Amino acid sequence: MPSPRPHITVEDLTIGWGTRVLMEHVTFQVEHGMVFTILGGSGCGKSTLLRYLIGLEQPRAGNIYIEGVGEPHTYEGVPRFGVLFQSGALFSSLTLAENLALPLARWTPVRGSTARELIQAKLDLVGLGAFANHLPGEISGGMKKRAGIARALMLEADLLFFDEPSAGLDPISAAELDQLILTLSRDLSITIVVVTHELPSIFLVADQCIVLDKASKGIVAKGDPRKLRDESKVAFVHDFFTRSATATSAH
Amino acid sequence: MSVAIRADRKGEYARIIPTGPFDLAHATPAAQAVKNVEALLTGCGSVDLDVAQLDRIDGAGAVLLARLLDRLETGGRRATVVEGSNPEVARLIARYRERRAELPVAHTGVMSPLARIGAVAADLPGKVNKALDFIGRFAVALAKATATPNSVDWRSLPRLIQEIGADGLVVTSAANLLIGIIVAFLGVSQLGPLGAISYVPGLVVVAHLRELGPLVTAMVVAGRSGAGLASEIATMKVSEEIDALRSMGFDPVRWLVVPRCLALVGTLPLLTWIGDLLALVGGLVVTTAFTRMTARAYLQATAEAITPNHLITGLVKTPFLAFAIGLIACGQGLLTEGGAAAVGSRTTSAVVLAIFSVIVISAVFTFFFALMGI
Repeated sequence: MPSPRPHITVEDLTIGWGTRVLMEHVTFQVEHGMVFTILGGSGCGKSTLLRYLIGLEQPRAGNIYIEGVGEPHTYEGVPRFGVLFQSGALFSSLTLAENLALPLARWTPVRGSTARELIQAKLDLVGLGAFANHLPGEISGGMKKRAGIARALMLEADLLFFDEPSAGLDPISAAELDQLILTLSRDLSITIVVVTHELPSIFLVADQCIVLDKASKGIVAKGDPRKLRDESKVAFVHDFFTRSATATSAH
Repeated sequence: MSVAIRADRKGEYARIIPTGPFDLAHATPAAQAVKNVEALLTGCGSVDLDVAQLDRIDGAGAVLLARLLDRLETGGRRATVVEGSNPEVARLIARYRERRAELPVAHTGVMSPLARIGAVAADLPGKVNKALDFIGRFAVALAKATATPNSVDWRSLPRLIQEIGADGLVVTSAANLLIGIIVAFLGVSQLGPLGAISYVPGLVVVAHLRELGPLVTAMVVAGRSGAGLASEIATMKVSEEIDALRSMGFDPVRWLVVPRCLALVGTLPLLTWIGDLLALVGGLVVTTAFTRMTARAYLQATAEAITPNHLITGLVKTPFLAFAIGLIACGQGLLTEGGAAAVGSRTTSAVVLAIFSVIVISAVFTFFFALMGI
């Protein structure tokens, strides 16, 4: 059986600011079509690692490949992935439809009724079809995140990065977002990388994960989160998945 | 292979077969192909979509085909996807068909110009009421600040004085120097032909010390520091820092507005004095450079022209101008609601209102002094 094709390959990555090294020798792969989560405690560098993966920061050493191609991660100038930022990062002066129209207007010749049809379809897909003409200030936090996902989908990228999608959401909104992540992954075959520390989300959506640890300055565990929870011998990983405080308190 | 949709019709039945790439890069020709084939399907009772010959398809292509099927079904026709060897494409199209908006799309109403004028007029009493309420709250806060010093952020005062005073000194000084030069030039050009050059120092003193010095300095401070204060507080408001202050029992007016207004009241007169001095220097340079008047004669005439009345009428208004700038900038900042765009619009409003208020207050003082014969 052929080994699955890697969508993202991270090789021996070292990141940090000034003289401070945040992580070193970080190596992992993300296969096509899977939901991959980056886990770890607060302040361990999960969101920072995401900034390197999406090219907002340059690593000190090591390489990040998307579909086997190094930086810049674009195809004929078009970004090869979509990103959902923690707050949704919608432009507050534009309606949801106008927010979604931005990447289309920048990177495609699609205009007019076709563009409106595509925008409406993406909003329908995330359950916001009725809110196309609303401003971000007029909708809830969970809806902003779903609108952010719709915007990330506008260029039909097959790779999405989500930074703490469930943060600050009520359990029902968080569960709806998890379902949306599963839909995007299973039905649209999109590879999704999620930074999170929400355990219910992790066990529901994640196929594979890496666990980062501040003290080790890197990855302390990789694999299926359910197996790691049940079988990991690493104290921090065990504590992380079982929400106990013995090893965590030492960090 | 180019984007197209072939239609094979047999009576009331049609089989439509899209070919080529149905993706975002080809969305425009794909939309045209959908439109063309729709026209050929008039009178059909049953339509099958055969996706076996598609080169590739993504979400954009799936949306266009899904909407075509939706429209056919809305017109009373049976529309189905023939999966064939491409079940993934059928699933993708199905995904976009089942996720239609259930609620009607709300449209934001666009006001006519007349309705907008009416709305602005209707808002005006409320706005005046809010402004007066804010001034009242500030007066109470100022009184309570002395009674409970812990409720005011006094530690920010040195930083504010530095930012408003020291950091703004170069700009206000340069503006005043240039105004002094301009007034002197006007005096030399207008009074020179009449042989009245000796009146130029007096003109500079009266024009600048009484009116232009406080006005120009306050306008520059309103533009520079007013914008800074308004955007700082507006950003705190949208990032919920103001709510956090309230939740901890702080009065934002006392904690934030009082030190900012006091910093302005302390620095604006100083900036005005320094500005007045530089304007007199500007007048001296121009007059001695372009006329036969000596520096000594200019200084002597200037000293004679400076009277307590001119000094007091100029400086007495600066604390009022400072309060106006501070209250407007902080008030606009506290009124901010929404996101980043609201910070920008509130900052603009603060600067415009502060500059306009500075001009109005100066005019009121001038009128009052004229009435009083000062």
